[in-house]
Amino acid sequence: MNSWILAAQAATAVTLLLLSVLVVVWGKNYRQIRSRQTLGMLVFAVILLIENGFAFYVYSLDPVLSVWFSEQVPNGPWVAMAAFHVLEAVAVAFLTYVTLD
Amino acid sequence: MEAVLWYTLAGTRGGPNRIRILQALDNRPRNPNQLADHLDLNYDTIRHHLDVLADNDVIESSGDDYGAVYLPSETARANWDTVETIITQLDS
Repeated sequence: MNSWILAAQAATAVTLLLLSVLVVVWGKNYRQIRSRQTLGMLVFAVILLIENGFAFYVYSLDPVLSVWFSEQVPNGPWVAMAAFHVLEAVAVAFLTYVTLD
Repeated sequence: MEAVLWYTLAGTRGGPNRIRILQALDNRPRNPNQLADHLDLNYDTIRHHLDVLADNDVIESSGDDYGAVYLPSETARANWDTVETIITQLDS
């Protein structure tokens, strides 16, 4: 089992959690402020949530792909993919930090 | 400034309360205690929102002394149509 997959799994799980927080905050705001801007933020967070949910499913739950990703994918590609997910988690973490203000 | 107004007032958890504060300050300048009374919010909550709004140059204080009143900043005034849009959408 490739240990980089663990980094990708952890990063997508953290991103999923943070995006759920953003969906709740922006959903509440949209209920109170029915504007295109508040709707835009909500839709953005929901779509990114779906993307991360899909990534998490593929890496951890899908019976064929999860095995393929953890055993067949060499280190090189994994370093790049794990970096994408970690950077995305950091970006969403900052957005959550300023949004909870 | 427009983006700052949208984010601080409509994009954050405290946004709706900050809209109420800005609305009250547009009505007339007030100090934190008067705002807490008027909006029925905790003094510390009011203080926090005032700090965020002042930090983003949406409001300014009349002085540094205790009881200084706050009012919308020049910049917020210059973009007041955006503020109005947000306020109207909160009311409806």
